[in-house]
Amino acid sequence: MTDNFSRRDFLKLASVGAATTAILTGCGPASRYVTREPYTKMPEYTYNGQSTYYATTCRECAAGCGLVVRTMQGRAIKVEGNKNHPVNLGKTCVRGQATLHGLYNPDRVQDPAKQAKRGSRDFSSMDWDAATAVVADALKNTDPAGVAFLMGMAPDHLFDLVSDLAKAIGAPAPIRFGALGMFEARATLGKAVESLFGQAAMPFFDMGKSDLVFSFGANFLETWLSPVAFTRGFANMRRGGGHGRGTLVHFEPRMSQTASKADLWIPITPGTEGLVALAIGRIAAEARGGSLPTAFADVDVEAIAKASGVSAEKLDELGKLFASANAALAIPGGAALAHSNGLETAEAVLALNALVGGLGRAGGVFLAPLAPMQTEFSRPANMAEMADFVEKLKSGKVKTLFIHGVNPVFELPKSLGFEDALKSVQTVISFATFPDETAMQADYVFPDHHGLESWGYQRVAAGSSQSALSGAQPVVSPYYNTRATADVLLAAAASAGGVLAQALPFKDEVEFIQSKIVALVSESDGYFNAPEINTFTAYFQQYGGWWKTVDELSTPSGDALGKTIKVGEAKFAGEGEFYFHPFVSPVLGEAGANKPWLQEIPDPTTTAMWSSWVEIHPKTAEELGVDNDDVVRIVSEAGTVEAVVYKYPAIRLDTIAMPFGQGHTAYGRYAEGRGSNPADLFGEQVNGAGDLAFAGMRIKVEKTGKKYPLSRLESRMGVYGEALGEEH
Amino acid sequence: MTTELKIPEFSANFAESGQQGKWGMAIDMDICTGCQACVAACAMENNVPFVGEADSGYGRSMHWIRTERFWEGEFPEIKMTPYQPMLCQQCGHAPCEPVCPAFATVHSQSEALNLQVYNRCVGTRYCANNCPYQVRSFNWRDFERPEPLPNQFNPDVTVRRRGVMEKCTFCIQRIHRAEDQAKSEGREIADGEFTTACAQACPADAIVFGRIDDPESAVSKLARGSRGFHMLEELGTLPSVTYLKAG
Repeated sequence: MTDNFSRRDFLKLASVGAATTAILTGCGPASRYVTREPYTKMPEYTYNGQSTYYATTCRECAAGCGLVVRTMQGRAIKVEGNKNHPVNLGKTCVRGQATLHGLYNPDRVQDPAKQAKRGSRDFSSMDWDAATAVVADALKNTDPAGVAFLMGMAPDHLFDLVSDLAKAIGAPAPIRFGALGMFEARATLGKAVESLFGQAAMPFFDMGKSDLVFSFGANFLETWLSPVAFTRGFANMRRGGGHGRGTLVHFEPRMSQTASKADLWIPITPGTEGLVALAIGRIAAEARGGSLPTAFADVDVEAIAKASGVSAEKLDELGKLFASANAALAIPGGAALAHSNGLETAEAVLALNALVGGLGRAGGVFLAPLAPMQTEFSRPANMAEMADFVEKLKSGKVKTLFIHGVNPVFELPKSLGFEDALKSVQTVISFATFPDETAMQADYVFPDHHGLESWGYQRVAAGSSQSALSGAQPVVSPYYNTRATADVLLAAAASAGGVLAQALPFKDEVEFIQSKIVALVSESDGYFNAPEINTFTAYFQQYGGWWKTVDELSTPSGDALGKTIKVGEAKFAGEGEFYFHPFVSPVLGEAGANKPWLQEIPDPTTTAMWSSWVEIHPKTAEELGVDNDDVVRIVSEAGTVEAVVYKYPAIRLDTIAMPFGQGHTAYGRYAEGRGSNPADLFGEQVNGAGDLAFAGMRIKVEKTGKKYPLSRLESRMGVYGEALGEEH
Repeated sequence: MTTELKIPEFSANFAESGQQGKWGMAIDMDICTGCQACVAACAMENNVPFVGEADSGYGRSMHWIRTERFWEGEFPEIKMTPYQPMLCQQCGHAPCEPVCPAFATVHSQSEALNLQVYNRCVGTRYCANNCPYQVRSFNWRDFERPEPLPNQFNPDVTVRRRGVMEKCTFCIQRIHRAEDQAKSEGREIADGEFTTACAQACPADAIVFGRIDDPESAVSKLARGSRGFHMLEELGTLPSVTYLKAG
């Protein structure tokens, strides 16, 4: 029997009458939708007609949501949320749902391969023994100082393994990076918490119990930190746990999806978010009475009103509103932190919470608990560190570079020159599951399994008040000839021998994971208890991880109001007449572009599909002489991109916004050659915490004379209106 | 002699001729964040094809559920209307049903749902023309799903071909599964025992599904609340979906 045994073939064989066969042969192409496997290929644990469910962890971002995947006869059919998981309580986001289109993506890397010349796409397949030998050779025969590991924000177990490995051979610690981490400004959050509260930590925002949320650019309903957890918090806030319906006020130059849910959206001048926070702080402090705290003492409300475009009356109203709420909460995030004054903005916004007694109060700000097996706050590399890393690559000091779980050629600002820097590295080994841009610049691609075929764990950084370690297990057997990167590294370590073999004496990935989670067996307050590691591991798989049953939030300490917060004027790179406001596509995230159903999910605010666009206010568009579907050229100090105009009525007239997520030059048929990448425009300006100041840019818009019809859902609704176009 | 013409007076009393739903949905527009998780969940559960860039640009995308939004006012006083997930309203008196010449769009008496019988459908598209909610989507082509994407197909749901109309079924495969289970155990289905794919995914729990004929169910309680309304109520379609006003 062949692999693709169609229903029609089956019927043909089963039916004896020649007439039947003749009729069926005349049928259309329905048969190609139906493929059947012989019963002999059925996995032994499946029963016909019954689904098997496996708990695992979503890998579409690093938030660590728990999934339960429905499988049927060895195939993953549907992603559902894990109801017991503290991050998502049974829910999933759009990207989590579409993860199956990554698993069964037609363009996955199917075999380990060597590329004849970087960028040539001339791959010759290898077998895994040869691949392992390449890795072993690189680990054994490269001077340890010349080995570098660049890792993504997930999964954590592999990062731990690589950290152990790097330490064993004396190589520099692995670097972690992800575009979402860059857009979330994680380093800024951590540093602002440290400077206000004396301890670097991820802040935890207890939105669900708040009755008034001031969000300064934090796009928490989209992709920020842990969107499923924040969406639940938002819904609980709206339902009004004891306070009545909660109110959301959002400050952002453009109406993002998060802003569209706000009761009040303030289209603030880019880069003045911190100033406005200070003004609100001063007014709120005055309204509450008592002496004015140092943080808000030297604040000139009139000057801030002028700079920010928010009138003094409005500021007064907002300040008093903030002061009068039962449980007010102020959240810094997103593009507001991506300015030269971003760190101070984060401090000013966090200080607002201290002013209204929101530190450690229900509905206020806490410090998120460290995940199990985590001893200190950790964050991905900020842009300053990435720039250093790229410099190091350029200097030729790195002989062998291993890359896993991140696509820096696409995600880093083009101006940083990562792709060029790779030319100075002798050997680049990518473990990419998909043929992404970085894999195309590698010498070897040794594909890791898809997340749903993988073992692992992920530490929950932001989405849970309980300390949580999310567990991953394969829900289906690997579809292609891929191999777990952890297994490749362990096998390479064993064959390299010496200190490496001693440091990593594990027979496979599962044994390594067990060696880590064994520390949890003796912990108390766990969601489950087990007397020894094997039983513990079985539960860990069954429940999809391990977490505490009690909240472990801590109250920020220190005198947050006692120090002057100096929010300087934001500096803008470039000469153009418009502010540039990049944002992560709420649907695609950083790596969703290769999933066809995600491409066809309309963007929530514009309803655009399958491409990228630039949002321009209709009045601005008229002045520029451009209309919907016109292609314009966006010119920044660092680069240019072309994109289609979408006339967006809810954006400042002096601001142009553009989503990040498209513009791939590789990454499979659904992503490649589609739209453009705003990272090509980014410069190298960073804020006080070293995060990229991607919003601190001015750009020019030039006409190209070209047109490109942007697919959008909204045309479909006015069936008798514009949808039919002029020609009808 | 004069002949008195007796012309019967036309009176349409839609409300009486329709049927109240058995299954219902409540959608809270105050907490719907427009995140599209329902759209993806529905597509994955129901083998809904993606149509590609060009066809989606022509309005041929196949979403069984979509989130609508409209604009009010001008910048800076502009407001977006609350996200409004739009799906088949499973009308008790459905405009799509009487226009189908093939009885492909029929009312199920037992489930009180609007069925779409794919192998009866001849593709006249009358039903879609007559649907005031614009929630029916037509298979303009056999949309391509390259291998191995079909591995993901839900075996409980038929794969539709070119020329066939389709729409939200309230995840009837899940309803039947739960009913079979309850029947085999000799009991009624409990409220919340199962739910539709969209409601299951919804991170805000804005979508609630259940027995609308049970006054004690979660969905009935929500639908009775002061914020509840039906879309285009004045048409007398008796929708089974209740929306809860925002604000």
